Amino acid sequence: MELFVARLFDGLSNGATYALIAMALVIIYKATTLINFAQGEMAMFGAFIVLVLATERGLPIWIALIVGMLISALIGAVIERTLIRPFDPADHLPLVIITLGLFLGFNAVAGIIWRFDPRAFPRMFPDGNVLSFGVATLSWYTVCVVITVIVVAGGVNLFLNTTKIGLAFRAVSSNLESSQLVGIRIGPTLQFGWALAAAVGTLGACVFVATPLRQLEPSVMVRVLIFAASAAALGGLDSLWGAVVGGLIIGMVQSILVQYTTFIPNEMSLATAVIVLMLVLLFRPSGLFGTKRVERV
Amino acid sequence: MAARFRLLERSPQARAYKWIGWGLFILGVVLFAFAYADTAQITLLDNDYAMSLTRVNKSISFMIAILGLQVIVGFTGQLALGQSFFFGTGAYISAYLVANHNWSWFLSILVVVPACFLIGVIFGLPALRISGLYLALVTLGLAAVFPSVVQLEQLQKYTDGAAGKSVSSSLVPPSWLPLDGIASFLQSIPLVGQYFGDGDLSSKEEERLWAFFLFAVLLAICMWLIANLIKSRPGRSMRAIRDNETSAAVSGIYLAKDKTLSFGIASALGGVGGIVYVAEIGIASPGDFTQLLAINFIVGLVVGGVGTLSGAIVGGFVIAFIPDWASSTVNVPGVPERWLQGPTGTLFLGILLILLTFVLPGGIVAGVRKVKARIIQIVPQPPPGATIPPAATDGSVVASVAADADESPDTSDGVSDVTGEASGEDLRSSATSDGRSTS
Amino acid sequence: MSALLEVSQLTGGYGPIQVLHGFDFVVNEGEVVVILGANGAGKTTTLRAISGMIDTDGSVLFAGEQLIGKKPADIVRLGVAHVPQGRGTLPELSVEDNLLVGAYIRKDKEVHADIERWFDVYPVLRDRRTQRAGSLSGGEQQMLAVARALMSRPRLLLLDEPSLGLAPMIVQDLFSRFHRINEETGTTMLVVEQNAQLALSIATRGYVLESGHISIEGAADDLLHDDAIRKAYLGV
Repeated sequence: MELFVARLFDGLSNGATYALIAMALVIIYKATTLINFAQGEMAMFGAFIVLVLATERGLPIWIALIVGMLISALIGAVIERTLIRPFDPADHLPLVIITLGLFLGFNAVAGIIWRFDPRAFPRMFPDGNVLSFGVATLSWYTVCVVITVIVVAGGVNLFLNTTKIGLAFRAVSSNLESSQLVGIRIGPTLQFGWALAAAVGTLGACVFVATPLRQLEPSVMVRVLIFAASAAALGGLDSLWGAVVGGLIIGMVQSILVQYTTFIPNEMSLATAVIVLMLVLLFRPSGLFGTKRVERV
Repeated sequence: MAARFRLLERSPQARAYKWIGWGLFILGVVLFAFAYADTAQITLLDNDYAMSLTRVNKSISFMIAILGLQVIVGFTGQLALGQSFFFGTGAYISAYLVANHNWSWFLSILVVVPACFLIGVIFGLPALRISGLYLALVTLGLAAVFPSVVQLEQLQKYTDGAAGKSVSSSLVPPSWLPLDGIASFLQSIPLVGQYFGDGDLSSKEEERLWAFFLFAVLLAICMWLIANLIKSRPGRSMRAIRDNETSAAVSGIYLAKDKTLSFGIASALGGVGGIVYVAEIGIASPGDFTQLLAINFIVGLVVGGVGTLSGAIVGGFVIAFIPDWASSTVNVPGVPERWLQGPTGTLFLGILLILLTFVLPGGIVAGVRKVKARIIQIVPQPPPGATIPPAATDGSVVASVAADADESPDTSDGVSDVTGEASGEDLRSSATSDGRSTS
Repeated sequence: MSALLEVSQLTGGYGPIQVLHGFDFVVNEGEVVVILGANGAGKTTTLRAISGMIDTDGSVLFAGEQLIGKKPADIVRLGVAHVPQGRGTLPELSVEDNLLVGAYIRKDKEVHADIERWFDVYPVLRDRRTQRAGSLSGGEQQMLAVARALMSRPRLLLLDEPSLGLAPMIVQDLFSRFHRINEETGTTMLVVEQNAQLALSIATRGYVLESGHISIEGAADDLLHDDAIRKAYLGV
C-alpha cells in the first residue's frame, strides 16, 4: 500500500509537467486544430533561457522564470507571425512540416549553443517533504508543482473568459468564419495563442528540471512530448482542464504500471503512453472532456 | 511559357528522348560508382567533404524508406511519422537471420517484407478510426518507443540489447563480373581516367561496388513496383483518399482496405530499407532508430518532393549527406568556429524544411520539373481528327495527361505530376465543426 | 434615396471555379433587397464577395468606399454585418458570449445595454443566456445569429438564406421580425433566399440570379406577380 502511494506521488510530479506541456498543446490546438510538434523543444529552449538568466545573469529564479516566459512568448509570437500566418489554416500539411522543421531547429540550436552536458537547474520549490509514511513521501516539490499547474490552468481559463482577447481566442476556437465576420483579426488572435502556449510550455520544462532528480540538456523534452500529447488527447484536445487531468492521470499510470507490472520495464513507460493514446483515439476521440465534432460531407 | 522543344507523345522523337534519357542516367550511375569506389574528397574553403560509396549505399537505404513514405504520405495523404520503427525492425530481423542463421541478405527480404507488412497493417487498422494529426502522434510515439522495445530483456538474445547487433556477412561479387577490367578500362580513358582511381580495385572496394549495384537494382525494382501500384486500382483509390477522404468514402471506395494496404506497403518498404542499411553498416544499434531518424525521413520526403517517386532518391541523398557534410564544415569565412560545432546538420535540415515549405513546397523535384518544362515537353496525341492542342502555359498540365496514357516508360515523371502536389486536405483533422471549413 | 451599396461587374468564385460572371446591382439606404435564385446560382458567393470572404473582381462600393481587396475585419468596421448560411453560431460559447462577440468592434459602453435590449426582443435568449449556444434550436440560433450581427450596429445587414432548415412557422416569425427591424432601425438589408414568396413579401426590390448573371430585376411587388418568377420559384 505504501509503495502504491509512493508511486502515486511520483507520478503526480511527472504528471504536472505533462499537464503543462499538454496545456500548451491544447491552447494551440483549440485555435488552429494543429498540433505543434515543436512544443517540447520550444519549452526546452525556454528553460535554457531561464537557466542562463538565473545562473549567468544572477537573477533570482522566479524573476528569471517570468522573464524567460516573456521571452518565450515573444518567440512564439514571432513564429506565428512569420512562419504560420502565411499559410491557409485549413491546409495542415505545410504547417505540420513547419513545426517539424522548428523541432529540428530548436533542438539543434540548443545543442549548438549549450552543448549536451546535462546541467543542474536552480530549485524553484522548497526541498524536503510535506509528509511521509514509510516509503511513501510527498515532497514539497510534488505539492508545489501540482499547485502550480492548477493555478496556471485556472489563471488561463479566467483570462480567456474575462478579457476581450480571451473572447476573441475562444471565438476563433469555436468558429473561424464567424469570428472573421464579427471583425476579429484572426492573425493577432492566433499570435496571442502561440505566445501563451510558448510561455506555458517553458514553465512546464522548468518545472520538470527544477529537481535534483533531473537535469537540463537539449534532448530532455523529446520524450515528454509524447506523454504530453497522450495527456492532451486523453483530456480532450480542446479542453484545458482536460489537459490537467490527462497529464496527472498519465503521470500516475506510468508510475504505477512500472512498479506493478514486471513485464513492463522502465524503458517501456513511453510505450504505455502511446498505448493510452491509441486507446483514447480509438474508443473516445474527444477524450474525457473534449467537445464532439462532426464532419460535414 | 511554352517549352523550347515540344515532342509529340509516342512519336519516334519522344521515344528516343526517353530511351536516351534513361540510358544516360544509368551510364552516369555506373560511372559514378566506379569513381567513388574509394572515398573521394572535395575541399571547399578549407573544408573537406567526403563522398564514398559506403555513404551512398547508406543513402540508398534511406531512399527505399522514403519511397515507403511516399506511398503512405504522398499518395494516400496520411501523415505517418513512424518509418524509423519499420526501418529498425527490418534491420534487426535481417541482422539476426544473417548473423545467427547464416541466411543470405536477399533471403531475409522474404521474411522482413511480410513481417513489416503485417505490423504495418496491425497499426494501420486503428488508423482507420484515427486520422490526420492523431495518426502522426501515434506513429511518432511508435518511433520513440523502438529503442526501448529493442532493448527489452526478453528480446536481448535476438537483439544484443544496447550494444547493438553486429553482423559481418559481406556481399562478395561474382567472379564472372570483370569489375577490375572495367575499372582499368575507365582509368585508361584520357582526360577523365584519373577520376576513376588508380590501380586495381581492392577486395573491399569490389564488395562495395557490387553491393552498390545490388542495392541500386533493388531500389529500381521497388520504384518500378510502386510506379505500377500508383496506376493500379488500389493506387487510384489511395489517391482518392488523399484528395478527399469524405468523398472517397461516400463514393464507395472501401477506405479501410486501401488505407491499411498503403500502410502495410509503406512499412514493408521501410523494412527493406533497414535491410540495406544494416547490410552496409554492419551493425544495428538501438540509438540509430529513434524518432530523430523518423523526422529525418520526413525531411527527406519533403525536400525531395512529396508525392513523387524521384523525390525519394533526392531525399535519401540529402538526409544521408547533409548531416555529414555539415559537420565537416568547420571553416566558413566570417563565422566563428564555435557556431559550426554541434548538430549543424540538423539545424540546416530544419531551416531547409521551413524554407522549402515557403519557396518550393513540391520539393526539389518540383523545382527541377519546372525548369525542365521550359526546355522540353511531351505533348499528348490528339484524338483522331482533332488538331494538336495549343502549348500549355503550365507544363504540368500536359505531362499529367501523358501520365494517363498506357505507355509511359518515364513513369516517375508522368505519374508524379498527376499526384504532384501533396494535398493537405485529409490531414485536416476529421473533426471539423460548423464554421471551420471555409467553403 | 441614396445608394448604400453599388456592385458592378462582380466576377469571381473559388479558384478555377468561377461562379459570378459579371453583373451589377444596387442597394439603397433603408431598403430590403432580395436576391433570389436556385442552388448554385451564386447567391451565397455574392454575399461572401461583399463581406470580403472571397476574392473577386469588379467593384463593390459601400457608402463610397471600395470593398474589393479589403479584409473581412476591415469591412465589418465599415458597417457591414454578414449572417452566414447555416447561421454561423459559435456553439461552445454561451448565448451571451455570442452576442458579446458580435459587438467585438465596438468600443462604446452601451454594449451590455444592447444585449439586454435583444433579450427583451427575444426573451427566449435571455432564458438561455448562459447556455452553450450550440444547444439552441435552429430557429433560436437563427435569431441569435441575426442579433449577433446587429450588435455591431451595422448600416448594412447581409442575410444568407435565413430560412434554411427551419420550419415554416418559425420562418414566418423570423421574416416578420426582419421587417420590423428594418422599419424600426432603418438598417438596410440584403437578403439572399430560396423562399421567394416570403422574402419578396418583406422586400422593397428584388433580383433573380441565374448561373452568375442577373436575369430579372424589379420592385418586389412586381416580381411577386411576375409570371416567370411565379413559375420558377413559386410553383404556380
